[in-house]
Amino acid sequence: MSAPLLAITDLTVVHDGDAGTRALLDAVSLDLAQGEVLGLVGESGSGKSLLCRSLVRLLPSSRLRIAGGSVKLAGHELTDAPESVMLKVRGGEIGMIFQNPTSHLDPVMRIGDQVAEGIRFHQGLDARAARAAATDVLAQVGFSDPARQYDSYPHEFSGGMRQRAMIAAALSCDPKILIADEPTTALDVTIQAQILRLLMDIRAKRGLSVILITHDLGIVAQVCDRIAVMRHGRVVEVGEKRGLLAAPSHAYTRSLIASHPSLPEEEAAPKAEKLQMPGAVPVVDIEKLHVRFASGGLFKRSSVNAVDGVTLRVMPGETVGIVGESGSGKSTLARAVLGLTPVSSGAIRFDGNDITSGRAALATLRRETAMVFQDPFNALNPRMTIGQMLAEVLRVQGKIESARIPARCGELLDLVGLGREFLDRKPRSMSGGQCQRAGIARALAVDPKLIIADECVAALDVTIQAQIVELFRGLAERMSLTLIFIAHDLAIVRNLCQRVVVMHRGAIVEEGRSEDVFSRPRHAYTAALVAAVPHIDPDKPLLAPPKMATAYAHAAAN
Amino acid sequence: MSEPLAVTAPLAGRLSLFRRRGTLAVGVFLLGAFIVLALGAPLIAPYDPIAQDAAARLQGPSWLHPFGTDNFGRDILSRVIWGTRIDLQIAIIGVLFPFIIGTTLGTVAGFFGGIVDAIFMRLVDIILAFPFLVLMLSIIAILGPGLGSFYIAMALVGWVSYARLIRAQMLALKNHDYAVAAVSLGFSRTRIMFRHLLPNAAAGSIVFAMSDAVLVLLSGAAISYLGLGVQPPIAEWGVMVAEGQPFVTTAWWITLFPGLSIVTLAFAFSMIGDGLADLFGVHE
Repeated sequence: MSAPLLAITDLTVVHDGDAGTRALLDAVSLDLAQGEVLGLVGESGSGKSLLCRSLVRLLPSSRLRIAGGSVKLAGHELTDAPESVMLKVRGGEIGMIFQNPTSHLDPVMRIGDQVAEGIRFHQGLDARAARAAATDVLAQVGFSDPARQYDSYPHEFSGGMRQRAMIAAALSCDPKILIADEPTTALDVTIQAQILRLLMDIRAKRGLSVILITHDLGIVAQVCDRIAVMRHGRVVEVGEKRGLLAAPSHAYTRSLIASHPSLPEEEAAPKAEKLQMPGAVPVVDIEKLHVRFASGGLFKRSSVNAVDGVTLRVMPGETVGIVGESGSGKSTLARAVLGLTPVSSGAIRFDGNDITSGRAALATLRRETAMVFQDPFNALNPRMTIGQMLAEVLRVQGKIESARIPARCGELLDLVGLGREFLDRKPRSMSGGQCQRAGIARALAVDPKLIIADECVAALDVTIQAQIVELFRGLAERMSLTLIFIAHDLAIVRNLCQRVVVMHRGAIVEEGRSEDVFSRPRHAYTAALVAAVPHIDPDKPLLAPPKMATAYAHAAAN
Repeated sequence: MSEPLAVTAPLAGRLSLFRRRGTLAVGVFLLGAFIVLALGAPLIAPYDPIAQDAAARLQGPSWLHPFGTDNFGRDILSRVIWGTRIDLQIAIIGVLFPFIIGTTLGTVAGFFGGIVDAIFMRLVDIILAFPFLVLMLSIIAILGPGLGSFYIAMALVGWVSYARLIRAQMLALKNHDYAVAAVSLGFSRTRIMFRHLLPNAAAGSIVFAMSDAVLVLLSGAAISYLGLGVQPPIAEWGVMVAEGQPFVTTAWWITLFPGLSIVTLAFAFSMIGDGLADLFGVHE
C-alpha cells in the first residue's frame, strides 16, 4: 500500500486555561488514503471537530495550541509550516464544509461569487474565467440552472441547496481532501440522502478523500470506508466499517451501536395489540384543524397554512408519534393542542371539552397536560434550582397539600432517574440529558393525563437519546400516560410509539400502526422518508429508494 | 447514570473569579465607607457644619481644619461629611424610583406587546424628545426648588431608560421555552412576568442603575449648583462647589474636597456596576 495522503501521528492539542493545561486531543493518530472516506463518530465534546480544525491549524480559541505530534499531507509537515503555506493548504488542498450552511455563507454575497472567490485566490484566474469555472462547479453539485443561479443570494435557496453551494465553494479549488463537519445534521432526511449521494458521486468522479464527521452511525455505515470512534479526545477504535460495526472491540463503540435507533426488520404478523375500550372518550380529538399565520408586510398580506385540515384522535394510554420534516406543522399542531397557539378554524376537544370554548376549558387543559421541549437548557428557568421549579409547579397546580410538596419533589426526581441532590442544582451546572430529565420531572409534576414531547431528544447525544426514550417508555407503561411524541427521527418513533402520524405541509398524509406505516408505507412521501433513513447495516443501501419516492423527494426539495 | 457531571470550577478558575469580583469589592468597600460617614456624621465630624466662625475665614488645610474653611469660616471637612448624607440620599432615591417605575412599565409593555406596548413606547418617545436637563429644570421650576421636586422630576424623566432596557429583554425572553412551559403549566401572567421573566431580564438594568447613580449624583450636584436643589446653608457637595467657585483661585480647597467626594462616590458606584456586570455575565 502506498503512503497515505494524510498521516496524523500522535497529534495533541492542549487548552491553556487558568487551571493549567488540559489535553483536548490526546495523541490522536489516523491515516487517510487517497480516495478514502473516513467517518469520525463520537458524542459532542469528543474532539471530532477540533481534530479537523487542527489539521488546517484553525483552532477555535487562542488558548488552544498544538502541543505535539505531526500532520503530514502528502509527505509535507503541516504543524510547523509557515502561515503562507497554510493559506494555500486551506481551501487549495483541504476543503471544509460545515453543519450550518446558513451561517457559513455570506448573506450579502452572490452564491456564484462565493464559489468564484476561492478559484480566483487559489488558481489566479481572472474574473471571467473564474465565473465560468464557478458555474461549472455549481452544475456539478446539482444546481439546475447554474448560469442564472450564480447571481442569486443564499436566502433565495433552501437549506439543501445552500449546503450544495457550500460544497461547491469547497470543491472549487480542487482540494485533495474534503472535511465535512456534520454536513447533514441540520437537514431533513430526504435532503440528507441527496447530499450524501452527491458527496459519493463527487468522490467517485474526482477521487477525493473525505473526512466525514457525524454523530449518526447510520450515515457512516452507508457512506464511509473506514470508521474512527472518538471519545474524550482519543481515538478509541478505528477500522474498516463492516468489521467495526459487526464486531466492535471497544466497550464505548458497542454502547454507541446499541444506542443507535434503527428501523427494525418488519415481521409480517401483527402483534397482539392493547385492546381499546369501545366507546372510550378520546383524550384528544382534533377535527379539521387549521392554524394560519399571517405573513408578508403591510401592503401584501397573505397567510401560511401551518396546519391544514388535520383530524386526529388520541385514545387514553396511547403513545402516538408524529413525524415529518421541518415545516410540516408538527410543532404547531402540538402547540395548538396545548392551547399555546390560536386556532384559525376547526375544533380541539380534550377529554370531550372544546379547549377553544373559553378560559375555564383552558384552565382544565393546563391542569391535565404538560409539554417537554427540544432544547433542554432553554426550557428551564436558569435562575431557579430544580427543587424550586418543581415545588412551584406543585404549589400552583394545588393538587397536593403543601406539606407534601418537598417529599413529592423527591419522588419526581426518582421517577426520572435523577438523584435527590439535583434539588439544589441549577440548569447551568447540569448536562443536557440531566436537564431533559428535569424537564420531564416538571411535566410529571402536573400529574398530567397527556404529555406532548416536541423533538425532546433531537439535541442529545445518541447514548443519552436512548436513555430518555427508555425513560418515556417506562413512564408511559407505569403511569398509563397518554404520550404524543413528535420527532423527525423515524427510528426513535418506530421504537417508542404504537401509532404513528406522518405530516407533510400541514396535513396528515398517513397514519396507522407504526409497524404497518414503516414497513408498508401507503403514501409516497412516507416511503421517501423511510427510504432516506441511513441504515446502520452497510448492506442496506439508502442510495436506492423506490422510484416513486425519489420523485417525491425531488418535488419536496424544490 | 452514565452522563458526566458538570465540572466544578478548578482552583485557578476561582482565583480569576475573585479577581473579577475585586472591582465589586472595591466598590462595595468605598460605598460602605460613605454610608458609615453618613450615619456617623454627628460623631465623626469635628465641627458643626453650619456654624460660622468669622475669625477663621478662608483658612487653608491645617491640623485644626484638615480640609480648610470657607468664606464663612465653616469647616470644610465637617461639611463634606454631613454632605454625604444628602448626596447618598440623592443617588439612591434618584435611582430607586425611576428603576421601579421603569422596570414595571417595561416588563408589562414587553410581555403584553401590542397596543399596551405601543402606548408605553410612544410615551417614552415623547420624553426622550426633550433634552434631559431642560425637562428636569422645567419640572423643578413648576414644582418649586428643593430636593423633593428633584426626586419627582427624576422619577418622571429617568424611568424611560429602564423601561426600554427591560422591554427589549422581555421581548426576547417571552419566546423562550421556559416561558412557554410556564404558560402550559397554568401559571398566571403576573407570576410568569415577575417571577420567571423579570429575574432573567433585570441583570442589565441593575448594572445600568449603578452607572445611572453616577449620572443622578452629578445632575443632583448640577441642579444644586444652579440653585434649584438643596438650599444653603445645608451642606451638599454640589452646593459647596458652587459656593466655592468665586474663590477658586485664592482658596482652592473649598471646591476641591467636595468635588473629590463626588468623584469618589461616583467611582464607587461604577465599580459596583462593573463588578455586577461580571457577576451576572452581562458582557457574555
